[in-house]
Amino acid sequence: MDDVLRQGVEIRLTVNGRKHREVVEPRLLLADFLRQRLGLTGTHLGCEQGVCGSCTVVVDGETMRSCLLFAAQMDGSGVETIEGLADDPDRLHPVQQAFWDHHGLQCGFCTPGMVLTAKALLEENPEPSGAEIREALAGNICRCTGYVFIVDSVKAAAETMASNAPRGESP
Amino acid sequence: MSYRKQPKLLGARVRRVEDPRFLMGKARYIEDIELPGMIDAAFVRSPFAHAEILSVDVSEALAVPGVIAALHGQDLSGRVKPTVCDAISDGWQSSEFPALAIDRVRYAGEAVAVIAADNRYLAEDGAALVDVDYEPLTPLASVEAAQEPTAPLLHKGWKGNYFYRDRHAGGDPDLAFSNADGVLEIELATRRHGGIPMEGRGCIAVYDPIERVLTLWSSTQIPHLIRSELANCLGLPENRVRVIAPDVGGGFGPKSHLNPEEVAACVLAMDTRRPVRWIEDRREHMLACFHSREHYHKARVAYSEEGEVLALSAEVTVDCGAYSVYPWTAALDPGMSLFIMPGPYRIRNFRCETLAVATNKCPYGAYRGVARSANCLTIERAMDAVADALGMDPVEVRKRNLIRDEEFPYTSVSGFVYDDTSLIESLDKVCAEADYEGMRERQRLAREKGRLLGIGVVTFIEQTAPAVDEGVPINFRYDSALVRLDPSGSATVQLGTHSHGQGHETTIAQIVADQLTIPLDQIRILYGDTQQTAQGIGTFASRTAVVAGGAAHIASGQVRDMLAERGAHLMEAAAEDVELVDGRVTVRGSGTRGLSVAEVARATYYHPELFPFGWSPLLEAAGTFDAGHGTYANASQIVLVEVDPETGAVEILEYHIVEDCGRMINPTIVEGQIHGGVAQGIGGAFFEELIYDEQGQLLTTSFMDYLIPGPTELPDFRISHLETPSPTSPNGIKGVGEGGAVAPYAIMAAAVQDAIRPIGNVFVNELPLTPERVLGFVDRAAGRTDREARRSG
Ligand code: FES
Ligand code: FES
Repeated sequence: MDDVLRQGVEIRLTVNGRKHREVVEPRLLLADFLRQRLGLTGTHLGCEQGVCGSCTVVVDGETMRSCLLFAAQMDGSGVETIEGLADDPDRLHPVQQAFWDHHGLQCGFCTPGMVLTAKALLEENPEPSGAEIREALAGNICRCTGYVFIVDSVKAAAETMASNAPRGESP
Repeated sequence: MSYRKQPKLLGARVRRVEDPRFLMGKARYIEDIELPGMIDAAFVRSPFAHAEILSVDVSEALAVPGVIAALHGQDLSGRVKPTVCDAISDGWQSSEFPALAIDRVRYAGEAVAVIAADNRYLAEDGAALVDVDYEPLTPLASVEAAQEPTAPLLHKGWKGNYFYRDRHAGGDPDLAFSNADGVLEIELATRRHGGIPMEGRGCIAVYDPIERVLTLWSSTQIPHLIRSELANCLGLPENRVRVIAPDVGGGFGPKSHLNPEEVAACVLAMDTRRPVRWIEDRREHMLACFHSREHYHKARVAYSEEGEVLALSAEVTVDCGAYSVYPWTAALDPGMSLFIMPGPYRIRNFRCETLAVATNKCPYGAYRGVARSANCLTIERAMDAVADALGMDPVEVRKRNLIRDEEFPYTSVSGFVYDDTSLIESLDKVCAEADYEGMRERQRLAREKGRLLGIGVVTFIEQTAPAVDEGVPINFRYDSALVRLDPSGSATVQLGTHSHGQGHETTIAQIVADQLTIPLDQIRILYGDTQQTAQGIGTFASRTAVVAGGAAHIASGQVRDMLAERGAHLMEAAAEDVELVDGRVTVRGSGTRGLSVAEVARATYYHPELFPFGWSPLLEAAGTFDAGHGTYANASQIVLVEVDPETGAVEILEYHIVEDCGRMINPTIVEGQIHGGVAQGIGGAFFEELIYDEQGQLLTTSFMDYLIPGPTELPDFRISHLETPSPTSPNGIKGVGEGGAVAPYAIMAAAVQDAIRPIGNVFVNELPLTPERVLGFVDRAAGRTDREARRSG
């Protein structure tokens, strides 16, 4: 095998607000890096083909598929994973709370990707219609729920986030 | 302290207690488990659908730095028993399913060798270097090819390429056919697809050579059944085999089998003395995780002028692929079809012949709504065909044939005893909810404007928690629960089933909470570890709420009685005078506060001197519930679709569902199950198809070419409930896990046919209704033979 594949690349990046400095093989996927090196197993691999959205993370403010990125590309980046949203069930992010309140998950495998994608939607569009929610989640497959309660959850999260937003400021 | 009465939790929309770990990314799925010294396995899979294996050379693979071990079929031959999963029937032919192919491969994707290495990347590097010499044989890639007289036989000692053939008859079909006003014949096909959970299969095998204990962590729905067959294959006693199913990212049937890869991983773990992990990728999953749903039906229907179906005669052929899988056997779908096809109708003359064909395709296993979706398609399309033949409304034809309320319990022509349902009421209700008359009027107006709107109606009955006493290697009638109350008065319940999205940590706790009258957060539901729970069967076939729910109800009832008896003794009252209310044992009508559950529990465990000598200090009980042959749920659905005759696209405009799963433990969870089941059914009705070419090569190995419905493909379903209590199970509960997946094939075929009616009459009989197939039906309706004719026309 080509030795260059085994050579390490040094990267510095921030994950959920913590700085990391790591040496990685060039072919190590970001998803595997997060899961295996950092133990952040909330990022799931459902297809490794860029289709299902289970592996969604936020890189420098944009939702991305961590199965299509190499860890080596992350030098200088800030990555946010599902683990960065809450560390206590009593202090969930409003999107997580809404998924809980509205049965937006069953087996939970797609859930981290759904929650991060929904959160990104609401940050951009605080009052999405049902159709806009479905459109925004179109790249995330859920095999369990049929999406009805996921859409309900996102609507409810939008309402909570709107009422939490400080008055006078745009959310 | 206030003295509030605890609300009954059965029937309450309780928020799921298991959710935080999933929401926070802290669940533990198989791939999240790290064990010290763990190595990864990667499989070498056959590129041929059918071939002899001449030789396997793993030496180059073993030379890769980081590769630790390699195994191929010959290494296991004589050391590991192949799986032999036989149905008990005169029409059955036995066959062997080895963990790794030995001298012959029978489907593209069959595991031939396995490499273990320091990590998955290196294991794949090694697997790519395994040199297998094949001599290709004629691939039998369809039921027709397998039944050619010249076809090579797929298994040793066989007389023809089938696992199983059987027949069943009731009444006098011949007489009914000869006396009928009309007879019609229909043919139907549902193409191969599968459950495809978002988390693929995977396992970790660990062997402890000192204790001689093999532990298999597996993403499975059936830990106990896996333990039995694993022990059998490896020649180990079951007390030295432990199977643990952690969080499972979707089951749906595909995870209710022993996978050959799991047996191979166990051998690697025993050989290397290292934990061995195997996590499949999506391509492997599509190739080798057992497929489903490939049914071909022919049916003859005899009917009267009044629209009464007098007799049904059917031939059911299922393409069961290369091997008979554990624990279902290859008779799973064909065997069930022998009995369930008449469905909810009063058909008294029935004949069915069934054939499980063996082909060079991935083996055939269980998927949500086993055999039911295809049989629902046939009987419902038959009803539609009778309606069309007589110019009747499809709702009216169904009403004339449905079993009437006063006929329950009803013994079907195939001998099933339907306990109690709301067939006619559910159909009336769904017509009201959908405003069926109004919908027909809207359809008429839309047609005037040239739009193709179609309406589909389906009603069905479903045996939940089913079991049969004959013909099967394992009879699944019961499941178990162990209920333990600890000295603090909180309860731990261990189930023999598994939860992988169904929310049993909540629903079973709701049942137990009502029995023990303690709050939900004082109850923990555990499952998935054969070393902790009593012998169980597992979660599939819409059974857990019925059998595990029943077992938990019975066991916690016993613990409640123990509490009452001990509380009574402590209060010097007669046992029959005390009651358990809101977590306290009180003397009925005394107005006193009595003793809390915790006080009684603490006294029982730590002060045996307070009780007569010989009273057990253990507040625990093991319960089982045997549901016999099951209990019957039912549903009616109406859908409105629009077909675009230019593109073949079908849009679902409205989807109305009235379901009756008996008394609901938690309506929100019931609705979630229905949503998910219907979504999967819609996938099979429109999008999902595992396509093999003539060489037996699977052409759909990624989510790019195997389409799973996403949020924009599915509508908002409108559900309402009926609750006809089950006479069979405690609390009147029936199963609901599969119900949603049963009807969509039939309803969508009906709706598409109805939509294109203004173009012409055509019988929609093949699924999935991809744009191509829809255009084909449009062409036939218009009397055109192919797309070219259509374009020039
Ligand atoms: S795992 Fe990355 S999109 Fe499916
Ligand atoms: S909850 Fe199971 S895949 Fe979405």
